[in-house]
Amino acid sequence: MSEPLNKNSEPGEEPRIKLPEAEPRGYFEGESMTRRHVFTVASQAIGGVAALAVVLPVVGFAVAPLFTRGEERWEAVGPVSDFNAETYKQVVFTEITGIGEAGKTTAYIRTGAEKFNEEPNDVIAISTRCAHLGCPVRFVQAAQNFICPCHGGVYDFEGKRLGGPPVRPLDRFQTRVRGGQVEVGPRFSVTNQLKAVRVRDPGEFTGGIWEFLYPPRPSTFPPPSN
Amino acid sequence: MSLLKRKKKDESPEGSGEAEAVAKPTKGERMGQAKDLSVHHGTQGAIDVAGWVDSRVNATGIFTAMMSRHVPKGTNWFYTLGSATMFIFAMQAITGVFLSMYYTPSATQAYASITHLTNDVFMGEFVRGMHKWGASLMIILIFLHMARTFFFGAYKYPRELNWVIGVVLLILTTVMGLTGYLLPFDQRSFWATIVANNITASGPVVGPYLADFLRAGPDFSATTLSRFYALHMMVVPGLMAALIGAHLFFVVKLGTTAPPWVRAPRPKGARPSESVTAGVASEDLEEVPVNGAAAAAVTEADPPVDEANAAEAEAVEATEAEETESATATEEPAAEAATEEAEEEPPTDGEVSS
Repeated sequence: MSEPLNKNSEPGEEPRIKLPEAEPRGYFEGESMTRRHVFTVASQAIGGVAALAVVLPVVGFAVAPLFTRGEERWEAVGPVSDFNAETYKQVVFTEITGIGEAGKTTAYIRTGAEKFNEEPNDVIAISTRCAHLGCPVRFVQAAQNFICPCHGGVYDFEGKRLGGPPVRPLDRFQTRVRGGQVEVGPRFSVTNQLKAVRVRDPGEFTGGIWEFLYPPRPSTFPPPSN
Repeated sequence: MSLLKRKKKDESPEGSGEAEAVAKPTKGERMGQAKDLSVHHGTQGAIDVAGWVDSRVNATGIFTAMMSRHVPKGTNWFYTLGSATMFIFAMQAITGVFLSMYYTPSATQAYASITHLTNDVFMGEFVRGMHKWGASLMIILIFLHMARTFFFGAYKYPRELNWVIGVVLLILTTVMGLTGYLLPFDQRSFWATIVANNITASGPVVGPYLADFLRAGPDFSATTLSRFYALHMMVVPGLMAALIGAHLFFVVKLGTTAPPWVRAPRPKGARPSESVTAGVASEDLEEVPVNGAAAAAVTEADPPVDEANAAEAEAVEATEAEETESATATEEPAAEAATEEAEEEPPTDGEVSS
C-alpha cells in the first residue's frame, strides 16, 4: 500500500517505466477508492448479507406473534333466562385454547338495566381480570362491588373504578344471543365513561392521551362499535 | 512465571547478564526451568501430556497469566464473591441441564412432570432443590459482589467496562429468575408471570409490544411456556456465559483493585516524599519489589510502557490524594507485563525463555 506502484527498479535508481504518480497515495486518476478498500467493503458486505440471512428470519420468527391475530372465539355460557338485570351470575369459559385449566377465565354476566341507560336486551359480561395487574377480582354481593384480593382494587356494580391502584374500569367481553343462548366473545377495554376501546393489558390507561402512549397492537381484536 | 523471573534476577542482578540469559538459554536450562515450573504447579506427573499440549497452545502460559497474577496487598474474603457467583452459575447450569431431562415444557404437562421429577425420580428433590435455592443464592451473591465492587471503588478507571458488563449480567440473572419462575407451572408461578407480564405491558409505547413478545401473543397462551423455557434454557444462559467470559478476561487483563484502606505503593516516577507520608506502615511499601519485577519485565519487552500506562501514571501523579487510583495504576503494569510475556513466548520454549 505504502509503496509507490511504479517501483520497478532498484532503490535509488531512476524508475525504468514511468507510471503516473498516484495522488493521493494509492488512488489513480478516475479512481474513488483503492483496490484494497474495494475488497474490504465487498467482503464485509457479503458477510453482512450472510449474517442478515440468518438473523432476519429468526427474529421474524420470534416476533411473528405480535402481528398474528388469533381466531375469534365465541362460547355459549347458558340460556338468556339465566341472567337478570339486578345481579351478576358467574360463568367460567375457555378464553385461550390448548393450555387446559390455565386458559379458562371467569366473567360476571347480567342483562341491561334501565338505571344505567342500557337496553333490556343487552347482555353485559364483566371480566374478572383486575385492571391493575391482572389478578382475578370477585363480585361481593353484600357490598355490590368487585374487589381484588391482591392489592385492594375496588370497582362498583358497573365495573367502574372506586378505589385502589387500578387505572381503569374492568374489561368486558363482547356478547351476543344465538338460539336463546348467551355467547361470550372477544375481550375489550372501556374508558372511565364506559366507552368501548380496543383491549389492552392491565395497568394501561384508557382514553385521552393514553390512546397514544399505549398504541394499538395488531394481535388484538378491534373494539365493538358503541 | 513471576517466580522464575525473580529467581533469575537473584542470580544475575545486573541487567546485561540477564539479557544474555534471555537471548541464549541452552536446551538443558530450558528443560530444567520447565520442570521447576511443573513442580511449582504440581503437574510434574502429567508433564509429558501437558508438555505436548503446551508446546502447541501454550496452555501453561495462559493458565499462569490467569491464575498466578499479582494481587494487591490487602486482598481479602470479599474478593471471592465474584467467584462464588460464578460457581453458583455453573451449578445452576449443571443442575438445569439435568432437570431438563425430566421436564416437559407444555402447559398441560409441565406441572405433572415437575411433580414426577420431585417425588418419583431418584434424588430429584435434591437436584431441583439445588436449582431452586441456588437461584436465590445467586441473586444474593451477585448483589454482594456488586456491593463489594462499589464500596471498594473497583468500578473506577480502567474497569468501567467491567462494571457495565456486570450490570448486564445482573439484569440477565434477574431475567433468569423471572423466566425460571414460570416453569413449575403451579398457581404461584402462573399468576406471578401474569403479573410480571402486565407490569411489562404498562410501560408506555413499547410496553404493550414487549409484553406481546414475551407472551407470544395478546394473552398467556400455549406458546408462552415454551418461549420462557427457550429463554431460560438457551438464550439467556448463552449470553451470560459469553459475558462472564468477557468479565473474567477484563479481570485478568486489568488486575484487581486494592482495598481502599490499603496505602498504594509509590507509582513510578513519583517523588519519594509524595508517597511516603506520615502514618504509613513500612510494610505497606513492600509492594515495591513487585513493581521492580514488573519494571524489569517491561524493559525486556520492546515497548517499555504503552501509552495508556504512561498516561495513567501521569494521572496518578496528578491525583496523588486518591489512593485507590494509584494502587490501580501501579498494579496494572505488572498484570500487563505478565500478559505480554505470555504472548511473546515462542511456543516451543513454553515458560522458559522470557
